[in-house]
Amino acid sequence: MVAVDIIFAPIVFSALVYFLTRGAQHLTKYIALGWFVVLFIIALNWYHQLPVDGGFLFLGNFLSVPQFGFELTLQIDALSVAMLLLTAALLILVVLTSWNEKKQAAYFSLLIMFSGPIFGVFMTTNVLWFFMFWELTLVPMLFLVGIWGAEERIYAAIKFFIYTHVFAMFMFVGFYLLYKQTGYWDLTLIKETALATPALIWWLMFLGFAAKLPVFPFHTWLPDAHVQAPSSISVLLAGVLLKMGAYGLIRFTVELMPITTLEFAKYMLIFGLITTFFAGMLAIYEKHIKKMVAYSSISHMGLVVVAISTMTYDGLSAALFEMIGHALVISPLFLIAGWLHHKTHTWYMDEMGGIMKKAPYAAAIFILAGMAALGLPGTMGFVGELTIIVSAVKAYGWWIAIIALAGMISAGYIIWAVRRAIHGPMSPIVEKADFSMSFAERLALAIYAVLIVYFGINPQPIFDLANQAFSFLGGM
Amino acid sequence: MNNAVMTLLIAPYVGAVLAYILGKAKRELAFWVAEVVGFVLFLASAVLFLKYSDTPIDITYTWIHFGNLELPFGIYIDHLSIVMLLVATGLGFLDIHFAHDYMGEDPDQPRYYAKVLFFIGGMILLVITKDLIGAFVGWEFMGLASYLLISFWYFKKSAADAGMQAFLYTRFGDIFILAAIALLFFYAGTVDLVKLNEMANAGELDKTLALVAALFIFMGAIGKSGQFPLYPWLMNAMEGPTTVSALIHGATMVNSGIYIVARLFDFFSYTDALYIVANVAALSAFIGATSALVQKEIKKILAYSTMSHLSIAFVGLGVGSLAAGMLHLVNHAIFKALLFLSAGAVIYIAHHQKDAWKLGGLIKTAPFVALFMAMGSLSLAGVPPFSGYFSKEMVVAAAWEWGNGFTKTFVTIAALLSIAYITRLWILIFLGEPRHEEVGGSVHKPSNIWMRLPLGILAFLTLFISIWQMDIVHYIVGEEFIEPHVAGLGAFMLTCMLIIFLIVVGLYVKGLNLLYKIASHHFVQTIHQILYNGYYVEAMITWISKNIIVGAVAKAARWFDTYVIDYIVNKTLDFTYMVYKVFRAGHSGKIGTYMGQFVLGVAIIVIAILIIVKGL
Repeated sequence: MVAVDIIFAPIVFSALVYFLTRGAQHLTKYIALGWFVVLFIIALNWYHQLPVDGGFLFLGNFLSVPQFGFELTLQIDALSVAMLLLTAALLILVVLTSWNEKKQAAYFSLLIMFSGPIFGVFMTTNVLWFFMFWELTLVPMLFLVGIWGAEERIYAAIKFFIYTHVFAMFMFVGFYLLYKQTGYWDLTLIKETALATPALIWWLMFLGFAAKLPVFPFHTWLPDAHVQAPSSISVLLAGVLLKMGAYGLIRFTVELMPITTLEFAKYMLIFGLITTFFAGMLAIYEKHIKKMVAYSSISHMGLVVVAISTMTYDGLSAALFEMIGHALVISPLFLIAGWLHHKTHTWYMDEMGGIMKKAPYAAAIFILAGMAALGLPGTMGFVGELTIIVSAVKAYGWWIAIIALAGMISAGYIIWAVRRAIHGPMSPIVEKADFSMSFAERLALAIYAVLIVYFGINPQPIFDLANQAFSFLGGM
Repeated sequence: MNNAVMTLLIAPYVGAVLAYILGKAKRELAFWVAEVVGFVLFLASAVLFLKYSDTPIDITYTWIHFGNLELPFGIYIDHLSIVMLLVATGLGFLDIHFAHDYMGEDPDQPRYYAKVLFFIGGMILLVITKDLIGAFVGWEFMGLASYLLISFWYFKKSAADAGMQAFLYTRFGDIFILAAIALLFFYAGTVDLVKLNEMANAGELDKTLALVAALFIFMGAIGKSGQFPLYPWLMNAMEGPTTVSALIHGATMVNSGIYIVARLFDFFSYTDALYIVANVAALSAFIGATSALVQKEIKKILAYSTMSHLSIAFVGLGVGSLAAGMLHLVNHAIFKALLFLSAGAVIYIAHHQKDAWKLGGLIKTAPFVALFMAMGSLSLAGVPPFSGYFSKEMVVAAAWEWGNGFTKTFVTIAALLSIAYITRLWILIFLGEPRHEEVGGSVHKPSNIWMRLPLGILAFLTLFISIWQMDIVHYIVGEEFIEPHVAGLGAFMLTCMLIIFLIVVGLYVKGLNLLYKIASHHFVQTIHQILYNGYYVEAMITWISKNIIVGAVAKAARWFDTYVIDYIVNKTLDFTYMVYKVFRAGHSGKIGTYMGQFVLGVAIIVIAILIIVKGL
């Protein structure tokens, strides 16, 4: 299979899959599952083909349109592979967790459709194509939130769309100015011109990615979108779409214009710190369980921004680890939060209570993932937090050790959430709710739990990938 | 030798998983798995002790290699580790054994034993790791385990609250250790505990850095070992099963703070950190001892006494006597485990009545428990020839010889008061007439094997370990040990203790009416309220977190988010929506419309891009 097919085949064939399986809706999910497993294997295969010294693996030039002067160049490095593996793995798990979703043919066709552009985003080095894939991921996402979402899905979907769309425009203008300066659309070629990037381009791109990450004060789309989205889609939002922002930040600021980034790193740091603490405080105040998880997600992405802003080899490695760790840790939290709402019909933690008694399995996974979110050793969360704080102190000096406080804030909201929803006397709502869970959901949650603990104890495989991705920063 | 180390590292977690899985199949099995694993752990520690050659076991790995940095993970086992291992696994095993009856009727036993093994595993990890990162891992494992065990009866509101409090209080200390790791890693170039001591001895460390790092680590110790001001969780932790209290207060968690300071003793002495340790600890010892005087619940009295005695051990370290501090830790671990398990037996006998004022007269129904508890009490009070006497005497002497006035005064008062509160407790439980009908009637009979045997072993130990006090000291600190000596101190202490003892016996056995009369005076009542509420430190911390952190800072963040940021966003959205409405022309407003327009929008963008590109 040619690399380009991986991107376009799902876009084209998802419609076909939809029409073919509309009569036998239960089949679609198997097709989707099979396809995502294939994607995962392909990504794994690419991982083994990567050049050892850390450069790009060239996959080919496609769709050359000479009169327009740009073509779809596909090449991947360790960073892309990390994101591809993460995306494929999460898609597989998403199929498992939405096993009993309504209107299956449409739902899983859209998921298949989503897999195309998202792979494109991480595979191409052509900025125009990057931008187009970036925008295209929104289409299936918008349908998924807008059709399967909760009560206020329309407001959330529109807010989500306008937000990301408007900021993508900033990014696009940035890309265009880059092209004007260098005459290239391709990232690797732009990099070779070693231009002195004006501040404007940097800020335009930073804004585009910051809204996606999201960074304070561009974060307000996220709680709405997450709360209204079905839980499995929240997993994709948090696990993949937010990572697009971090990926873009690394690709287009750190890699493309290191000198400018170094100059503006302090602003990035300030944004990251404010995001971490502000979102953490919001999570503490929040009574809505899924919003609490959403703010926790933002808070952790703030730490990723802090790590990226260090502009060092260790900082970036730590950032990549935290990105993957965050995806695996926050997903079960979202899933269980959504599941609890589905079963109890309330969003508010005060009205839950005593879940442990009725649903010990879900409660145990929630506590485990919560512990990972607050950075307890033995989980991925701790490794991420530890490496970030160590690399940040190395880059910025002793005062940055205050980010250890983030570990206290996260402990505050997680433990309080457990106290209100999981522990405590059983509330009447929980008393009469039925907490049955399908086998596929149990399996998916177990996989998350195992991954969180496994990579928490043995994080080196992920760091090997990260070290390979950022070896160009070796001297820093 | 290495097999023993591997067993200690891995067996607790394997055991925890096994206990849970097998226990789900058959409830009895959970206990037996825990019993066997607990015993194996103790055996492994004993093997290490017996086969120890003169050089410490020292293994170092690289745990994480990221970027240009390497985070280590190492094992380091020396005499100090072995003493801690024996305490943790030995008392842990007895605790598991005791739980057979005490937790015998609980339906959640698999969960209980899994958590207990995990807990012991955390303590083992802490005492055998070589660097601060590994120690932090074990440290936090215990935080999690204690949280889960204290809120073991999660369906009780008080237990759930107590668990949350324990986790948050200790976590607050822990994040300082995390910060210390980062600081030391970069500024000292190592987080290796042994190397830090060596560097301190060689004078290679920056004094300010060392002081800050030491204080940060001590902050963690304050959280875990219940020192001022992070002690209230220790008292509320009594909501957990009594066997858990024995585990937390005797074998594992609270010792960890003292251990880490002892492990980094040279590093702490290099700066003035020890001075601060001594003063905080002396204050805590005083707070604990005075508050213990007026508590009603058996377990709360014991909890405050734990706080007080840990502080006494800390004072020993703080004034510069590693030997005194560690010796008191060991002795305290044994007699406190004995006292808690005896209290557990009393509670078991008295149908879960925990209020000491409602008990009474139990000496008739449970003479053995009364005897064992008396032995534990005498040891805690510091009466020769029980072990508590030797270590407490040594700490107080060390404080008199090397400490400042504050330390000296407060630690002496705390040491003297222990006989008062423990005698009061013993009298209330065992003497007089039963004050509550449940207690007076039928009682649970404690079984010989499961309850009396572990109590007997501990009682035996707390008496006979006195013989080897000097051996323990030499084992830990080596031969060049300077014993603090203050002429006449022993006689002075014993006289004071005798007087206090007589007053307490007089008041609580014969003079209850007089006691009530004194207690009804409103000045006494004010003092009583302050002491009973642990000097209102808990109320203060709760007030700060409720009204400042959540009520002001978080609320302000929420306000800003809703009324400033999101307001602007929604205004923008309204504007967009207005534009959209202009273009809408009679559409239904259904989701399909939005979607269709979105796809159209994307198409327009793509065309626009092409035009822009082509136009160049």
